[in-house]
Amino acid sequence: MLSQLDSLKAQALQALYTLTEEAAIEAFRVEYLGKKGHLTSLSAGMRDVDPALKREVGAKLNEVREAITQALSAKQEALQAAKDAAAVAGLDITLPGRPGAGQGSLHPLTQVRDQAVRILRKLGFVLAEGPEVETAWHCFDALNTPEDHPARHPSDTFYMPDGKLLRTHTSSVQIRTLESVKSLPVRIISPGAAYRRDEIDATHLSVFNQIEALYVADEVSLADLKGTLEFFFKELLGSGTAVRFRPHFFPFTEPSFEIDVKLEAKGREARWIEIAGCGMVDPAVFEAVSRTRGDELLHPERVSGFAFGMGLERLTMILHGIGDIRHLIENDSRFLAQFA
Amino acid sequence: MLVSLNWLKTHLELGEADTAQISDWLTFAGVEVEDIRVLGVSSPQVVVGRIESFVPHPDADRLSVCQVQDGSGATRQVVCGARNFKAGDKIPLALPGAKLPGGIEIREGKLRGVLSMGMMCSARELGMGEDHGGLAILPEDAPLGTPLSQWLGNDTLLEIEVTPNRPDLLSHWGLARELAALAKLPAHEPAALRAEVAQRAATEAEVSLADPGCPYYSARLIEGVQVAESPAWLKQRLESIGLRSINSAVDVTNFVMMELGQPLHAFDADQIQGGIVVRRAAKGEVFLALDNREYALDEQDLVIASGSGEVLALAGVMGGAKSGVSAQTKRILLESATFDPSSVRRSARRLGLGSDSSYRFERGVNAAQIAQASQLACELIVQCAGGSMEPQLRVAGAMPSAPAPQRLELAHARRLLGIADLSAAQVEQVLQALGLKAVQSDAQGSLWQIPPWRLDLQRPVDLIEELARVIGLDQVPSRLTAQFMAAAGGNSPDRQYDEAMAMRRSLAARGLQEAQCLRLISQAQVAEALGNAQGQGAAVSNPLSEDHAVLRPSLIPGLLAVADRNAHQGSERLRFFEVGRVFLPLPKGGVREEERLGLLIGGPAQARSWHQAEPAAADFHDLLGLLEGFWAPQRIELKTLPANAAFVLAAELRVGNRVLGWVAQVHPARVRQGHGRAAWLVAELLPSALRQLRSGPAKFAELPRFPSITRDVAFELPVDCAAAKVSAFFEGLSEPLLVGRELFDVFRDPSGKRLGADRQSQAWSLTYRAADRTLEAAEVDAAHARVVAALTKALPATLRQ
Repeated sequence: MLSQLDSLKAQALQALYTLTEEAAIEAFRVEYLGKKGHLTSLSAGMRDVDPALKREVGAKLNEVREAITQALSAKQEALQAAKDAAAVAGLDITLPGRPGAGQGSLHPLTQVRDQAVRILRKLGFVLAEGPEVETAWHCFDALNTPEDHPARHPSDTFYMPDGKLLRTHTSSVQIRTLESVKSLPVRIISPGAAYRRDEIDATHLSVFNQIEALYVADEVSLADLKGTLEFFFKELLGSGTAVRFRPHFFPFTEPSFEIDVKLEAKGREARWIEIAGCGMVDPAVFEAVSRTRGDELLHPERVSGFAFGMGLERLTMILHGIGDIRHLIENDSRFLAQFA
Repeated sequence: MLVSLNWLKTHLELGEADTAQISDWLTFAGVEVEDIRVLGVSSPQVVVGRIESFVPHPDADRLSVCQVQDGSGATRQVVCGARNFKAGDKIPLALPGAKLPGGIEIREGKLRGVLSMGMMCSARELGMGEDHGGLAILPEDAPLGTPLSQWLGNDTLLEIEVTPNRPDLLSHWGLARELAALAKLPAHEPAALRAEVAQRAATEAEVSLADPGCPYYSARLIEGVQVAESPAWLKQRLESIGLRSINSAVDVTNFVMMELGQPLHAFDADQIQGGIVVRRAAKGEVFLALDNREYALDEQDLVIASGSGEVLALAGVMGGAKSGVSAQTKRILLESATFDPSSVRRSARRLGLGSDSSYRFERGVNAAQIAQASQLACELIVQCAGGSMEPQLRVAGAMPSAPAPQRLELAHARRLLGIADLSAAQVEQVLQALGLKAVQSDAQGSLWQIPPWRLDLQRPVDLIEELARVIGLDQVPSRLTAQFMAAAGGNSPDRQYDEAMAMRRSLAARGLQEAQCLRLISQAQVAEALGNAQGQGAAVSNPLSEDHAVLRPSLIPGLLAVADRNAHQGSERLRFFEVGRVFLPLPKGGVREEERLGLLIGGPAQARSWHQAEPAAADFHDLLGLLEGFWAPQRIELKTLPANAAFVLAAELRVGNRVLGWVAQVHPARVRQGHGRAAWLVAELLPSALRQLRSGPAKFAELPRFPSITRDVAFELPVDCAAAKVSAFFEGLSEPLLVGRELFDVFRDPSGKRLGADRQSQAWSLTYRAADRTLEAAEVDAAHARVVAALTKALPATLRQ
């Protein structure tokens, strides 16, 4: 019996050694370890073994079963490992990735607007909005722009049959906000579309986008304006960005400035580029708004504020080196894909 | 405005200041310098030279080696490539160190091994003209060795843009006065401004001011003139700033305007029948202007008319063709006046007749120098054209009063400027330099008298503005404050912005490109894109063109144009969206503005790749799949809309009574017209309606603790039985163990081979689970049997085995 077991073991291990197919290995398992397998039938022979030898034969039986089982599982593991390796063997990992739905993109104007919004939100500005079909009051009168101002002429501004107009700047949202606000401070940004009666060419659109900010509180000064704008442009364009303020004129701010940033274009000397307009809210604006409010919350002698605004198209063109503004309205997918 | 630096220097001692410095001063005074042009040669190292002799270059066929006299007595060797000269010619010689226009600096060096100590120049190299055919040969009398700049003279032109609040800068003297104040330079006020002008009140017959649009008018008669060409100095002055010389009288009026800022007009006095009448035009009155064109006037136009009724000039804008000064003129009546800025602006604008004169009147002129400007002009006319002026200026009306004094509170200035230690002395220094005079002072501030030319200083804040401008923002500290506004409600623009951005990012992540389309489009584009379904766009009264005449009532016309454009340039895969405003005309007039999300897809649903060479074209359900994330987990209903010329298939999307938007398949004819090869699908959703689907933060539901068991069921249905009907059946079923269902197969066979063409087969996977125990197989079998029985009873379905 003992020798039978030994030879079974040798025979099994030798047989196993040559096997490579999964099915053959399973057949081997059945042949040796299955219910009707060799080992099972041998162990049935234990009944007839001399009791004195039972212990020794039992141990041998276990040893042989153990050896075959171990060899089998080693074989199975090796086979699985070989299969696993074969599954990735020869894979060309340099083939491009599977595109799935493909790469979409946000319009560059959206991306630049969002950058601007995020920077100003850090400083506690909230968003505000107003209609694009606006009254002359909100777009001009309340912003200290008199009736005969050239900007109001139908050759410059689009009018609707009911006398309303297409707002020429997002500054009208300042007025909308100031009319309805319940308490101070007022700290808003209003990104949005504006309209001017310009023929479309490489640098002009008749509908364009602006972003506007307004801060009104008890004691807002030029120092606040300067600090905020320096922060804004350094965040937007890089911490080394030089910013300068040139005196200018706008009807709705006094004093007023235009803001230049010093930027390097490829292969050219850095130069000052006009990028935004700003100023301290003109007392006439507070007066106008106070008249419609009928209260003293925004009395020009009690509050002050700053406002600034800029054209998003221009900012986007400067940031991304886009030479022709029409790219921004043509929506060519080859253009859009560059901003993914 | 064009400013001549030489002209400016007649009033201002610029000392060492170079153009860059002057440009900087102007920039920080609030005057934009748009261009700087150097006229003539500026470098003193470009001198008149004479070619003594020349020989061919030993190693270069095209070059000559010249010996050139530079005026120092010695000759220098210069290698030259030109051939248009002979020995003895005088030429411009750039000595080493000379800077030529364009930034080229001349240095000594070897040209093909031969020393060259300078360069002889063409006209173009010197910025003196376009001629580059050879050396600029100078006249024989050109003084040898003299710098060209000295011999020919040169000038620098500044093109500046003056803001509309500063008409006082629209003249050379005005600009000189400002620069003197800002840069602390010595300036010399023109003597003419200090002159006492003899004057008398004009008689009603001489000048009649019939309209408040002209508060103050002066006229002076000059008799016995002989108007001809202007003297060289006058012509040169005007031409240097780009004005054409006309004749001596007209040139003098232009000169004085550019010198002092007061527009003037010279009439041929013999063409005026009766006196001057300043009045509004009659409706329909016709005016033949200097440009020889007729203009139809109306009651808003202020005119200078003759006593006999003829319109002589459009006040402040342009003179008439007949009353102008010509070579035949013997008597000149010189007008110097002021007109209502609005009136001038309106007329100039309406008639398209802007002039240097109207530009200044629109912004306001300094009435205090009207008489002096007239005096200067009359003297110059007499000087240039002879004749004699009458002894006194005829004056009508009253000189408008100077701007009222303004008080500046020091505390106010400190507060607004953010300069805490701004001193009274600093304020005084700035304002005095600008010509203001303190008439009364105390500890808190002072009252300032405004000079007559500063029409813009009308309020205390205007004085603070001057401080900011002159002191500059460099001196203002930067303060960075964060302050917070009270949170607005749930529907705040902030929330809307964030949701729109999330929507954009989600679509971009699914391979869509964001478009931003024009808001002003054509009515035809709207009608064509939407068929008759969506009505018309609100029309603008004064569109630039028919192509941009209405406000878009939908995002779809724009997206279709984007598809056209991209299909045309060869893109097969079209996936675009836009989030933006549309404008809906209201029945009673006016518009309602609404935020929308528009989508358009067409062409392959997946990007083509090595993995999938021919991806299937996107269809209606690709679009639905894109959208479903926006309203999950709510179930939406699709309500079919009638097809029209624009859409072959369309449906409204709703949840209960709430309309979320609509989806459609663009009419194939339209797609073909746009060079599209597969279906184009569009959708337009209302973000506001989608927003309302989500009420507050999601509420967590406990995860199931017991396993679920699924059973599949397959059945046949009539082909026209909508999947929504089956869904509705399952939803309406009251089977407590049924917790989920999923449609996983739909089969149709239009050929009728494998399944009747009027039939469809659907396969659903149904999930059963109890919340409190693991289900036994028998329980599930029983529940499933109940569901199947109910299904075949409720729907025209037959089970497939």
